[in-house]
Amino acid sequence: MISRRGVLSAGAAGSAALGLAACSGGSGSSDPTDKDANGDKTITLWIMQGTNAKTDEYVDALTKAFEDRTGATLKVEVQPWDGAHDKFVTSMSGGTSPDVAEVGTTWVPEFADAGGIDPLTKDVDEAGIGDGLVQGLVDAGTLDDELYGMPWYAGVRSILADRKILEDAGVTEQPGSWDDLLEMIETIKSKNPDIIPFPIAGSSIFAGMPFVWGAGGDIAKESGGTWKATIDTPESVEGIRWYTDLALKHDASTAAASSWLETDSLAAFQQGKVAMFITGSWVPATIKVDDEELFDRLVAFTIPAKDKEVAPSFLGGSLLCRFTETEEPELAFELIKLMSTGDLATRWAKETNYFPGEQKALDAVVKDGDELTKVFAQQMTEGGTTVPVTPAWGQIEGKKTLSTLFSDVLKGTDPQKAADSAASEMDEIFKG
Amino acid sequence: MTVGTEAPSPPATAPARRRVPVRRRLTRGAAPWVLLAPALILLAVLLLWPLVRVVMLSLQDYRLRNLIRGDSNYVGLENFTKVLTSDFLWSTVLPNTVGFAVVCVVLTMLVGIVVALFLNTLGRAWRSICTAAIMVAWAVPAITGTYVFVWLFDPLNGLVANTLDALGIMEAGSWNWFDDRWAFYAIATANVVYHGFPFIAVTVLAGLGTVPRELYEAAALDGAGAVTRFRSVTVPGIRPILAVCIILSTIWDFKVFTQIYLMPGGDGTNRSVMNLGVWSYSESFAQGLYGMGSAIAVLLTVLLLVISVVYMRTLMKEDEL
Repeated sequence: MISRRGVLSAGAAGSAALGLAACSGGSGSSDPTDKDANGDKTITLWIMQGTNAKTDEYVDALTKAFEDRTGATLKVEVQPWDGAHDKFVTSMSGGTSPDVAEVGTTWVPEFADAGGIDPLTKDVDEAGIGDGLVQGLVDAGTLDDELYGMPWYAGVRSILADRKILEDAGVTEQPGSWDDLLEMIETIKSKNPDIIPFPIAGSSIFAGMPFVWGAGGDIAKESGGTWKATIDTPESVEGIRWYTDLALKHDASTAAASSWLETDSLAAFQQGKVAMFITGSWVPATIKVDDEELFDRLVAFTIPAKDKEVAPSFLGGSLLCRFTETEEPELAFELIKLMSTGDLATRWAKETNYFPGEQKALDAVVKDGDELTKVFAQQMTEGGTTVPVTPAWGQIEGKKTLSTLFSDVLKGTDPQKAADSAASEMDEIFKG
Repeated sequence: MTVGTEAPSPPATAPARRRVPVRRRLTRGAAPWVLLAPALILLAVLLLWPLVRVVMLSLQDYRLRNLIRGDSNYVGLENFTKVLTSDFLWSTVLPNTVGFAVVCVVLTMLVGIVVALFLNTLGRAWRSICTAAIMVAWAVPAITGTYVFVWLFDPLNGLVANTLDALGIMEAGSWNWFDDRWAFYAIATANVVYHGFPFIAVTVLAGLGTVPRELYEAAALDGAGAVTRFRSVTVPGIRPILAVCIILSTIWDFKVFTQIYLMPGGDGTNRSVMNLGVWSYSESFAQGLYGMGSAIAVLLTVLLLVISVVYMRTLMKEDEL
């Protein structure tokens, strides 16, 4: 920017000099900031609907910034999450894919393996924006040592509670272990038998996984290029058993919750029927829109591990990916750079209540944020973890292997038995 | 004179007919096909080609990467052997699909016919009002209707749970009927029958109007009661309509998807309630195994074809076909 202004103020003759100045900075033959060459070029970007309430204003600002920097036109298409996966798939097979799109972290390995999106490692290194990214997002986007998506935003799950119910029961301390959490639940239950202290939602796998991880277990492990399920190991089963026993033995939940999704827990919480539940860092903002009073009473805790304060929790979010079909890879990457770094990245995170993918921006958001944000941020930085980064994960997610595991145990199946069938189902999928 | 001139004409036209048969016959034979062509081409493009594609896909191990790269990967009948030898098909999916369809068809037909008979006894004004009212149930999209049933039966906050709670029969939230295979399908049946019977009722009602009144009068004179009149006059009179209604209901109830998929656990989480439609969707679109999903879809189609043919043979007389 500065060098370009310098050139202009020096009165150097228009485009030729500008081209030269730009060329000196770039290494490739086609320079993404060559405004004259880009005049009639258009880049298409897909972003997901509903993430940002002020999407229109953000899109206007982004379009302007992109045109200022490159001279090319930016066409933004907002896509609904419903059916987004199918839409990506059909567009990739039909040759109508966008140049750049935000892709959910768990889909990236699948699309990369299928050959729909580009590796970005080289571009990221050359642009010098590879350092200081949030590690969990980098892990999620890395397949066979290649980064396929630039971290854009992230979210994580922790415990969200209604302070009033907790104060009535006299339990407001961050639980330091599973025992502490159980004591909290039992106290709430004894003080207020009508309330559901801590619903165990059977179809919400990312509410259950922190307990598997918190006991030292895992979904699957890779060794020598092959994946093997570890959901049936003693550690994993211990976590599954402890978590589901909250419902089965300790009356922390309700029978109705065995088929609940995360949104059902949220609805019951908003109706005042639930004391605390596991949910995403983006949820307080949703509650604020619906019920300002409840928002003021919110308090967050990190999900505890077996014997410490912070258990690993799934770090989900979106990566910015470049599609292999694009005719303008340099321009497309310029857009990714613009969105994932600097002011626009921070702005997106602030407006959406997600965490930015860049550590520096994340620190800024946490510094300005409220108490809730700090708790979620702690869960993310100390415990952010990811699901197996393999193309097979898409299939495991589609087959609902883990939801079946949790809801079966809640229906009375023995944890070890349910874990064994989940493990053999996953191993079958890993085999291909 | 007339006789004289006409007498030689038959032998004159007959050989003429025989002499230019090819051309004539071609034009005559072609005429209906030319007229049918636009419709047939449309059908071929919209129905036949997708059908052929599904069969071709069902013979491949076809995944996302094949879709994106546009290549094919034929594996013969592997998908079919896998599906047909799977325990899951015989112990869960097929019983769910067939049992559910049988119950739904029987109930839909019964309710539909009873409602039609009832509507038939009403005066013009009330009949219009009642018909309009039940058509509203039919007009509600499956997705909306299913959500309404899920809310009604919500184990914690639903109307049904709270009514039972108020009556002291069970405590709301103490039992999750979506987890139980039988209770799950009982709710799904209520949903499907509720949305299916108006069509049957209105169709049968239209059929009832075509049965001549005199037949009823004659039967009544012979001393036939209401049941006998229904059996001996009404049923034979509207048989073709009943047959069409049964075939359509069977096809609809066999391939039911939305009403199962949208219920809690119906998306594949609760394996014990999966049917052929959801299984096919889960394999092809959720897991990206398009070949396997297509194989299941082909099996469902074959099953429906067989059932339809059997129905046609038994329900319709030769001359009605």
